[in-house]
Amino acid sequence: MTLFGQILANGILLGGLYGLMALGMGLVWGVLNIVNLAHGAFIMLGGYAVYFLFTLAGIDPFLALPIAMVGMFCFGYLLQMFVLNFIVRSALLNTLLITFGFDVVFVYLAQLLFTADFRTINPTYSGSSVDLAGVTIPYSTAGAFLVAILLAGALYVFLDQTRTGRAIRATAQNLTAARLYGVNPRRIYALTFGVGAALAGAAGGLFGVVSQITPYIGITLTAKSFVIAILGGLDKPLGVIVGGLVLGIAEAMTDLYLGSTFKDIISFGLLVLILVARPAQLVGRA
Amino acid sequence: MSEAVATATPIFEVRKLTKRFRGLTALSEVTFRVSPGEILGLIGPNGAGKTTLISLISGTLLPTSGEIYFEGQRIDGLAAYKRARLGIGRTFQVMKPFPGLSVLENVTVGALFGATEGQERKRTRAREKARELLEFTGLGRRIDQRADALGGPDRKRLEFAKALALHPKVLLLDEVMAGLNHVEVDEVVELIRKIRDRKVTILVIEHVMKAIRNLSDRLLVIHHGQQIAEGKVDQVLKDPRVVEAYLGKRRQ
Amino acid sequence: MNERLRYGIVGAAIAALAVVPFVVSDSLVQFGINALLVATLAQGWNVIGGFAGYPSFGNSVFYGLGSYGTAIAMVQFQLPFELALVLGALLGVAAAFVFGVPILRLRGPYFAIATLGLSAVMGAVVANVPIAGKNIGLILPLFKGDRLFYELSLGLLVLATAVVLWLSQSRFGAGLVAIREDEDAAQVMGINTTLYKVFAFAIAGFLSAAAGGIHAYWITYVDPAGSFEGSLNVRMVIMTLFGGPGTVFGPVIGAFVLSAISEVLASKISTVASLFYGFVIVLAVIFMPKGLLDVIQGVRGSGVRYFGANMRRFRL
Repeated sequence: MTLFGQILANGILLGGLYGLMALGMGLVWGVLNIVNLAHGAFIMLGGYAVYFLFTLAGIDPFLALPIAMVGMFCFGYLLQMFVLNFIVRSALLNTLLITFGFDVVFVYLAQLLFTADFRTINPTYSGSSVDLAGVTIPYSTAGAFLVAILLAGALYVFLDQTRTGRAIRATAQNLTAARLYGVNPRRIYALTFGVGAALAGAAGGLFGVVSQITPYIGITLTAKSFVIAILGGLDKPLGVIVGGLVLGIAEAMTDLYLGSTFKDIISFGLLVLILVARPAQLVGRA
Repeated sequence: MSEAVATATPIFEVRKLTKRFRGLTALSEVTFRVSPGEILGLIGPNGAGKTTLISLISGTLLPTSGEIYFEGQRIDGLAAYKRARLGIGRTFQVMKPFPGLSVLENVTVGALFGATEGQERKRTRAREKARELLEFTGLGRRIDQRADALGGPDRKRLEFAKALALHPKVLLLDEVMAGLNHVEVDEVVELIRKIRDRKVTILVIEHVMKAIRNLSDRLLVIHHGQQIAEGKVDQVLKDPRVVEAYLGKRRQ
Repeated sequence: MNERLRYGIVGAAIAALAVVPFVVSDSLVQFGINALLVATLAQGWNVIGGFAGYPSFGNSVFYGLGSYGTAIAMVQFQLPFELALVLGALLGVAAAFVFGVPILRLRGPYFAIATLGLSAVMGAVVANVPIAGKNIGLILPLFKGDRLFYELSLGLLVLATAVVLWLSQSRFGAGLVAIREDEDAAQVMGINTTLYKVFAFAIAGFLSAAAGGIHAYWITYVDPAGSFEGSLNVRMVIMTLFGGPGTVFGPVIGAFVLSAISEVLASKISTVASLFYGFVIVLAVIFMPKGLLDVIQGVRGSGVRYFGANMRRFRL
């Protein structure tokens, strides 16, 4: 029972982080109709940002997160404002293509600048853990989980309660109508993309604490974010977190009972089954 | 006035057609027949269920209960594309041309598909037929333009041309005159008459009273999903229930 | 452009391509084979993604099945290559029918990700099947003769392009385009959309699987990671989009151009090569959102204003 409980706990904790990863992608997809294939690269860059803030400036990763998020926000904002806004209304596939191009560029720049070495962020507490009902919970993973939930909650409140958040949702629903209400779509789009990048950056920083960073982590993480975002309903933060939890738990369970080779089969297989078995809920969205 | 007589074999018939959406009854026990070559006007206040009826006949929606017969054959379970092949064509209230294609290509697709009788299977012949139809509907000068570049009235003409390209036996028209001025309305009325002369039976949903009164052989009135009157135009318009339903909503 | 002239040019191009392996270096022939095969994959994608508008991100599943089908037929059943290739291609078609029916019910990005998932799952499943050599894969008998593989690949590409040409002129193709533009309207117009979509998927499956079979015999091995390689998917999509989806020659041009660029960059400036590749793609999407072929036609029609008009249409 304790092994099961332990694996389940691991799955939940990791799942929260997964959810955070997918938040940004879902937001950008739902609002801007851009499927960002470079999303994983944003996560990776955020990870490196926190890594260097930690190793060079000695800032604790959890404290470095806001700094990295601000940086990633600006980066995303500028990218959207000066590049993506020009092609936003063309076919969805073109956005896939251009973000793929970005991904190629970012990954190789990272490789060039940071080399392919594995990096981990090891604050003093990274080895310690707490014991909860027979289950070992490492401090860093727990912290990552909490931050993930916090940010998801913050995003939800932002979208639901603030004026800017509502403007974003209005733009997502009906661009023309939003324009008539005085919303500046270019800024809103840039803002949304920036927020997406910031969330990805935060996920990256946390990922660095919990796992390792290389320039290549982006690809798998983009794929996973893809899956989770769809499961969660794109720009619904709480749904996406749940989607992340589902994937995290599913992965942990398959790892335990079927071995790691089956992990990918299960997560993708699950996704395909869900998509096919409940098309009504999702077909309308496209 | 048409020569269609109530005793002629109906080309299509609807019996106790009902559609419910999760607790909302959009259409309740609607029953009527349409004779070949007839123009049946379908009127009623907004939201009464008229478009739902058309969607049920064309196969876009499936009924909760009731039956639909086309040329004696029961069709209420058939997929939309099969009904189109039998000869049922419709226009959409929200114009839906194929956006990326030219006007000509839009109608060519219709000519290639649609009712199995009279279908053109070669693209080149279909294109010629499309050209003819575009002339017929007055879009001769616009055949090479992108469909999504057309203005409102031209879009309607395109919808007509597409629907005709399907060489339907029955044409379902959904508010084709919305937003047109007097002159344009008269043009459309003429067009519909010309279509009927081509031996097409027509079911028209319309709010423009003048037009529907002139055009229809019979009227069917739907209100809150229920059929409240059916019969000759003058009788129906004098029916007190119809007047009541329309109180304050009559448009000219 | 005059029809006859166009066909003349195409005929000349094919003849020129056919002569290539006899006059260039071996490494160029190898580059040629890869380029031809990936161009076939692009054409296959063009059928389901370009014409029917269903962006598959998992055509690599057919490529992999074709590779494995051919390999298993040759290695486990000692069948000759010709037969094995046909079997491999048919395996791809069968998979398209089996998976197509449920998955083609999904639209847009949901379809894309379902196909992505399909490919990932298939690779992992194959890695557990003994007759397929499990994790290690299979080694096919050796056949030395790059020139023959080249001509075979060229033949397949010509076939693929001929199929797409047929689509552009046939009723079936018109139906696919209608589905892409507005599937609901297409249904109401009498098009059996499910049948048409599955058929398009099957064509893509056939072409991709055949390409996989040729490739497998050429490199003499199959293994789960390589045969179901994910990056193939992105490449075939990008090449088609770059060249012009829904056109007859767009995917071929896109495949050749991008393959050439990446080859040249890889050999000359290797580290920065990918960087340039990425930039090329980004610039291409901004300035040529409808593909290279459309640019050529557009510039011929309205000159440099083509670019401005496009950008104005697609910008926010």
